[in-house]
Amino acid sequence: MRVSEFSVSLDMINRHYSEPNRNRYESKYYWEELYTLINAAGFGSIEIPFEPVWQFGGRSGVPLTPYCVNTKYGDLSAYRAFLQSCGISKVTAVTFDPSLFARNDQMGFYFGATKHFALQAIDFAAGLGAKYLVLSPSASIGRLTHYHPGLIANKAPFVEELSKVVAEIAAVAASKEVKLLLRPEYWSVLSLDETLDLVKASSGHLGIAFNAAHLHLADSDVLSFLEQHCDLIDYVQLSDTKHSSAASFKTDANPAFPSHNATQVFCDVGTGVLPLTSILTKLTSLKYSGHIVLCNHQTRDPNRALLRNRRFINQISPFAPEVHYV
Amino acid sequence: MSNLRYANMCHWKAIPYKQIKNFREFYYEDKTNTAYYSDWDRLLRYQKALGFDGIELAPWDLADILPLFGSPEAYKAFAAERGIEVVGMFHGAHACHDASKFDEVVRAGKEAVDTIVRFGGEQMNTCPTDNYYGIGPLSRQQVQDCAKAINEIGRYATDHGVKVGLHNEFFCGINRENHREFIEMTDARFVHYCIDTAQISILGENLLEFYDTYADRISGFHLKDTADPNQPDSVRYSQDPEIQDDGKRWFWEPGEGVLDFEALYRLLKKHKYQGWITLETDGSPDYLASMALSRYYIDSKLKPIYE
Repeated sequence: MRVSEFSVSLDMINRHYSEPNRNRYESKYYWEELYTLINAAGFGSIEIPFEPVWQFGGRSGVPLTPYCVNTKYGDLSAYRAFLQSCGISKVTAVTFDPSLFARNDQMGFYFGATKHFALQAIDFAAGLGAKYLVLSPSASIGRLTHYHPGLIANKAPFVEELSKVVAEIAAVAASKEVKLLLRPEYWSVLSLDETLDLVKASSGHLGIAFNAAHLHLADSDVLSFLEQHCDLIDYVQLSDTKHSSAASFKTDANPAFPSHNATQVFCDVGTGVLPLTSILTKLTSLKYSGHIVLCNHQTRDPNRALLRNRRFINQISPFAPEVHYV
Repeated sequence: MSNLRYANMCHWKAIPYKQIKNFREFYYEDKTNTAYYSDWDRLLRYQKALGFDGIELAPWDLADILPLFGSPEAYKAFAAERGIEVVGMFHGAHACHDASKFDEVVRAGKEAVDTIVRFGGEQMNTCPTDNYYGIGPLSRQQVQDCAKAINEIGRYATDHGVKVGLHNEFFCGINRENHREFIEMTDARFVHYCIDTAQISILGENLLEFYDTYADRISGFHLKDTADPNQPDSVRYSQDPEIQDDGKRWFWEPGEGVLDFEALYRLLKKHKYQGWITLETDGSPDYLASMALSRYYIDSKLKPIYE
């Protein structure tokens, strides 16, 4: 395998949760310096979460929707040119999590809004030159069941509707030369097998975005998963955790913040227990040639996370000499 | 018995935990101050310790609060155990200038009132319609349509023990040129006014004269300072001006800007205002520090004038 570059996900910025100094993340200046810091840490490409919430209420300084980017830069091309001037030459993928729409007891609203905004996310990806839209198959179980208490007991209609919506989104994405990828997540209503079945049934229109920590927390052996499903995997997110399983908290109202015992579920790439070097070696042996994105979900310090990422890459070379990168 | 009670407008953003019981362990995971800002238990205790006995909720937080607590009633009880009561909730009456959306706007307003009642609140501070950019300038008919929708919501709110307080912001469709006209179009029996001291000053109102004129209609205050009153049209009518690209802040803690709060408190005394004063420190990098700074200012400068 030749990894031309590792990418960094902007998901590392805490956009939503309380912490001192969080307000700076809503202003344009913060992101514009961040791009240069990402580049200074040795990375030249990024992954962007698409989050419609930022176009509600005038928070257009957060560059995570076409509205925001158009407001601040005129259009997506001008934004790409700006990224280029900061040393960011590529957007590898746009990600989209429909959790925002699990907010009432109207399932029609949930699916309708998910599809509506997924189509915006496709345009966002296409306009940014990204080849992939990485979709979280569902909002978390805990959040959805708060508004739909009977969901798990009667899951089939949900899965059926989701399959239909995913197929529609995938078709639109394909027409715009963007491939829709489903990301298995430990908190998803859709099980790992159901996700794989959906992808296998799509005849290549759908793919899998492999997120190491999510799969590990879903009690999957990540190396075996790669071995068994490599042909379905178009995109790899390296993420990390210090936890061995999410079984005790995956159905919590907020499964990224376990209610019975406060903890940081995800940690900076290279600081947890995931066998990341083995994952890279395995990807090499399987001749994986796609992107590898470093996802520092929930980092307490983006700048430290970037340096930890670079340290991780510097350290893997002696142990995985077959992984080439520049 | 004090005439004034102090609350805090909730701008913490999503708070992931109800209560962290393994606080020391959580702290040691990364040894940062994240642990101090991650649960409702501690944030409400900070408020109580600093003399802010009420909380005004933000509607954009409900999608996180409700799954976390299970119900508004459960949140209310949790807050009450810590000596905090829910004062009310902010509400955006989006698109109320559009007569074709009257039913939708009123329905959303009524649902918000119902939610507030379940939280035990009595105030719904309501921002009329959307940002100026994109809809302004409004015609007289559109301003009347705004008033019509707000009156209808206000009537329902009054019947349910909730006071609708107009909360104008400096970048709204209702702006300097029609602010007072709009107020006059609303029904004083059902629609009140929450003075956001900084917002209306940036809008171009004279804070003291405005309060003196409308004292009978004032149902609450959002207390905050600004260093930039009386902004020109080019700012107020611009696209998304609330969050500035360079990090410039419109809002500061009372005493850190230029507004004359001591004069305002003399007017509160004159008009014998009784009710909630809600501290709002949106834009601050540290809400706890802002709350403490504001408490010092209130106690040392304002309380001697009127309490």
